[in-house]
Amino acid sequence: MSNILKKEAVYAVTGLVTVLMLVEYFFFENTQIWAETIRTWAVIIFNISLGLGAARLLIQHSMRVQKQGRDWQFSGVLLGIFALMILTGFAGYIATGVQTSNSIYNWLFNYIYTPLSATLYPITGFYIFSAAYRAFRARNLDAALMLIAGCFVMLKNAPVGEAIWIGFATIGNWFQFTGQIPGMRTFAIVGALGLIAYGFRALLGKERGFYAGGGE
Amino acid sequence: MSLGKLANIDRRVFYWILFIALMVPFLSPIGFPITISPNTQDLYDGVTGDQVAEGEVWIVNFGYGVSAWSDCHPSVTVLTKALFREGAKIIFMGVHYDIELTYNKLQDTCRADFANKVYGEDYVFLGYMTGGESVIAQLGSNIKSVFPQDHFQTPYDDIPMLRNVVDVHDIAGVISSDTGDYGGHFMTQWQAAYGTKLAEAGIAMNGSTDLPRWQAGNFFGVSVGSRGGAELEILIGELGEATTAMDSISVSHLLLVIAIILGNIGTLTEKLGGKK
Repeated sequence: MSNILKKEAVYAVTGLVTVLMLVEYFFFENTQIWAETIRTWAVIIFNISLGLGAARLLIQHSMRVQKQGRDWQFSGVLLGIFALMILTGFAGYIATGVQTSNSIYNWLFNYIYTPLSATLYPITGFYIFSAAYRAFRARNLDAALMLIAGCFVMLKNAPVGEAIWIGFATIGNWFQFTGQIPGMRTFAIVGALGLIAYGFRALLGKERGFYAGGGE
Repeated sequence: MSLGKLANIDRRVFYWILFIALMVPFLSPIGFPITISPNTQDLYDGVTGDQVAEGEVWIVNFGYGVSAWSDCHPSVTVLTKALFREGAKIIFMGVHYDIELTYNKLQDTCRADFANKVYGEDYVFLGYMTGGESVIAQLGSNIKSVFPQDHFQTPYDDIPMLRNVVDVHDIAGVISSDTGDYGGHFMTQWQAAYGTKLAEAGIAMNGSTDLPRWQAGNFFGVSVGSRGGAELEILIGELGEATTAMDSISVSHLLLVIAIILGNIGTLTEKLGGKK
């Protein structure tokens, strides 16, 4: 029974959904009502997976706090903030129907989350700087070519490049529009063809990973 | 000092140099001239003039969170202003859990434009959605099934501007601003299937994915990162955050190129020294 649920039932559901989506997209719009229903299920399942992720996060970190392993204090902070956000969000939601109507929730979001989040992305600039210095070395011809193209594109993107020499923009544009775009197009088309091939293989039951996590 | 040492400069030295160098343009703006890229020009042209009819409904999708405000938000600000000034109605929605903060920031950065508009009649904030490409496909066939109410709990049917908005056919165009690939999802499910006008204003890293789509005609325009935002600010004639950031971009990029050159001089010197 479990084998049927693991394999045949998954084959059947996948096949049915695929055929329905293909038929609706390419041939008959009047099958839309069925496709819509299935897509709504997909969205619901996606939302459930978010809840599942949150539950898993709580379990994982609760266990770390319980065992008091390495850096368990961070897990404790995570659990505390998780509880605080949930409670203040719900308090606002129950009171007015909008979670952000709670002033503590708003304060946490505006004065802790926002600055931290806004800092996180720019700070990667420092790491990129250091990493580029260490990694961008012309050790062979290929690396040298990539290095030269990268420098031209960087100076093309920064206004200072054009201020120094207008040729940086011209050459940088050539690298981007003539050099890079055809490569990306090829990559996209090959990727799409690969996806179609993968889809057929999955439908025919030849992709074990898709059905049974890679094992028999 | 041997030139070979240039190959192994401590990274903390670079952190300090970069930190100090980035301070300079904020204390004393330099103002390098900025030229307009053809993809940004196409984007601006697509949301102004004859391209937008009064009263038509557009979607602005926030596919970015607070961490990408510096890259995405200036473009979204200009595009929102441009659409409002052409008389378009806008549906705001997004796929990041913190999109309410982004929506609030947009109201701040477009304060004068929002002041002339009425919520529910000229614009609406439908809120947060999840579901990847499935939810974009579902939006195309039935918007109300994804958002039975707006972010503020008002039922869909009670929102005046949405009374005649059912599916993709009622939407004139979509602007998606992403750190991920929701622009790509809109392309597959809306632009390719129904010919909906679509444009992207994503982070700089997405440029390599988005520009081929613009060249192929899938996107009518593309804004790439904060540079794209600065170009749009120039086009609309209202300089803002992105234009200010351009000096920092210039300084950091120039320093990076110098650091790369120094590192390579060091490596070359080490190699030549080893050969001797």
